[in-house]
Amino acid sequence: MGQAINSQVIKESLRERGWTQARLAEEVGVTSQAVTHWLRGENFPRPAVILKLVAVLGLRYEKLVVDEEEIEPVIAFRRKGGAKTVEAHIRKAVGIGRLLRPLVPYLKAVPELRTQIASPSTDPVKVQAYATEARKRLGVGQQKPLRYEDLIKEFERSGTILVPVLWGEKKRHENALHIGLPKENVTFVFLNLDTRIEDFGFWMAHELAHIYTPQWAGTDQGEDFADAFAGALLFPRACAETVYAETMQAHDRGKLRVLQSHAKQHDISPYTVFKQVQIYAELEKQSGIPIKEKDIHALRNRDSGELVSRLLFGSGTPGPEEYVKLCEDVFRSDFFKGLKRMIQEHGTGYAYTQQVIDSSVHDARALHEGLIANAGFA
Amino acid sequence: MLVLLDTNAYLRLAKRIKPMLGVKFGHKQYCLTVLRDVEREVHKSRRLRFHYPWFDNPNLTQERVSKGVRMSPEEKKKLSDITEALHEYVQIHAARFIENRRSPPSKTDCRMLAFGQVREAVVVTDDLGMHQLAEEFEISVWHGYELLHKMRAAKMIDSEKIREIYQALEANDDLPQAWEGAQETLLKKVFR
Repeated sequence: MGQAINSQVIKESLRERGWTQARLAEEVGVTSQAVTHWLRGENFPRPAVILKLVAVLGLRYEKLVVDEEEIEPVIAFRRKGGAKTVEAHIRKAVGIGRLLRPLVPYLKAVPELRTQIASPSTDPVKVQAYATEARKRLGVGQQKPLRYEDLIKEFERSGTILVPVLWGEKKRHENALHIGLPKENVTFVFLNLDTRIEDFGFWMAHELAHIYTPQWAGTDQGEDFADAFAGALLFPRACAETVYAETMQAHDRGKLRVLQSHAKQHDISPYTVFKQVQIYAELEKQSGIPIKEKDIHALRNRDSGELVSRLLFGSGTPGPEEYVKLCEDVFRSDFFKGLKRMIQEHGTGYAYTQQVIDSSVHDARALHEGLIANAGFA
Repeated sequence: MLVLLDTNAYLRLAKRIKPMLGVKFGHKQYCLTVLRDVEREVHKSRRLRFHYPWFDNPNLTQERVSKGVRMSPEEKKKLSDITEALHEYVQIHAARFIENRRSPPSKTDCRMLAFGQVREAVVVTDDLGMHQLAEEFEISVWHGYELLHKMRAAKMIDSEKIREIYQALEANDDLPQAWEGAQETLLKKVFR
C-alpha cells in the first residue's frame, strides 16, 4: 500500500464538527461517493483536493495522509544550557531529515557491522565499563586526555555522517543535532563549530553515545545516558580518583585550581571534572569534594576556552573551499562529496544546500557554486 | 484577479515598473501585490540588501505597505494550514524537487503558493521547484516573463521597457534561463 487518507482522523474531525460525509463533500467540492471511496481506502484524492481538506478541516498534511513507507526521522538535540526544545525545533529538524533522504544514495555505503550497546544501562558502574571499552577501541589509554579528533574515527567506523556547521555561538537553541534515518539506516550528526573547545569534545562524546544506543535516541533516557557516557569517556574513573585525592589535600581556593588544571589538560570543562569526581566519591562511599557548583560555573564563565571555529580557521570567516576541505580532512566527512555528486547528477539548486545545512542564502550560494565549479573541490 | 509576486519576482521588476502594485490591468483586471514576507526576506539577507539598495526607497516601501494584502483571521488560519501542508509534502517528497536546477521549495515559498490557493490568485515566481509544486497542486503560477507579456498586451508597459528589464537582469547576472528561452518564444516580437 502507498498513500491513503487517514479515515480515522477524518471521521473524528467530522464527529467533532457534527458534519456528515455529504457536508464534507460539499465543502471540498466533490461528490459524496468520492469521500466514501477515500474513507474506505479505495481511492486517493488529487493533491489539490487534499489542500482543500487541510483548509476545511484544519488538519496537518501528515495527519491527513497515511504513507506506510514513511518512517519519520529520529531527532536528538544537544541543547544549549537553559534552552528549551519546543515543537517547532523538532519539526524543523524532522524536515531537514526528510530533505536529507535523496542525498543518502550519494554517500559512502554504511558499514554492516557497527558498535552498539545491546542493553544499555545508566548505572554508573556500567557506564564506566562502556567508556573503558570505547577507549580501548579508540586506542587511547585510560588516563590519557581524549581529544575530539580521537572520536572522529569512531564516528567514521559507525558510518555516521558528521556535518560541521557554522551556526554562530548564540543564535541557536542547539549546538549539536542528531538526525537518524531509520529506513535508510544512516545517521547525520550536525556539529556547530562555533562552540567553545571545552564543550565541543563533550558534545561529540555525547553524540557518540547516541550512535551506540540507537534504541534510546530521542528519549530522555537516551539524553541521560549520553551525558553520563560522555563524562565517563572524557574523564574516566582513574582520572577522577587522582583529582579526588589532590582536591582533598588542597586548601580552599586551591581545590578549584586543581579542577581547573585537570580540565585544561583534558580540554573539558571544570564542571565535567567535578561531576566525574563526585560520581567517583559516591561509588567509593566517600564524602563529595567540598566545592559549590556556583563557584565552578563562575570559574567557567571567567576562563572559557577558544571557539573551535577560531582554532580551525583563525579569526577570519573560511571560504567555501577551506570549509569543505576541513570537513573532509579533519572530520572525515563524506557529506560534501555526496552533495557534490548529487548536484552534478541532478543539477540540484543551491536552495537545497541552504535548507539542509540551515545556512544563509549567501553562504549556501557560495558553497553551491564552489561545488559545481571546481572539479577538485570536494 | 490578484497576482502575487514572490520576492525575486518583485526585485526583478519593482525598480523599473512604477507604479506597479495595485494597478489593475488586462481583461481580467489583474492586480499585483506582495506579502509582508518580501520585507522580511530582503531585510534578513545581506546579499539581497547589498544587491537591491533601492528596496527601502520610501515610495516603494509606501507602495508595498498600502498595496499589500490584508487577510481576515480565517484566511490567515487557512494560509498557515496550507503552508504547513505544502511544506510537509515537499519534505516528504524531497526527491521530486532536486532535479533540473530545482530545489525543494522553502516554507516561505510554500506560503506564497498557499496564498495562491486561499485567494485563488496567480503566483509569479521563477523558482522551478515552486513551479513543480504549483503544478502538482493545481495552483496558478507564471514566470516573470509571462507577467511582462501580459502587462505588455494590456499596454501597461511597452516592448522597450521589457528590453530594458532584460538588459538590467543580464548585467546583474540574474537573468533566469526560462527568461532567456522566452526571447525566442513568448516574447519573440519584443526582441526581433
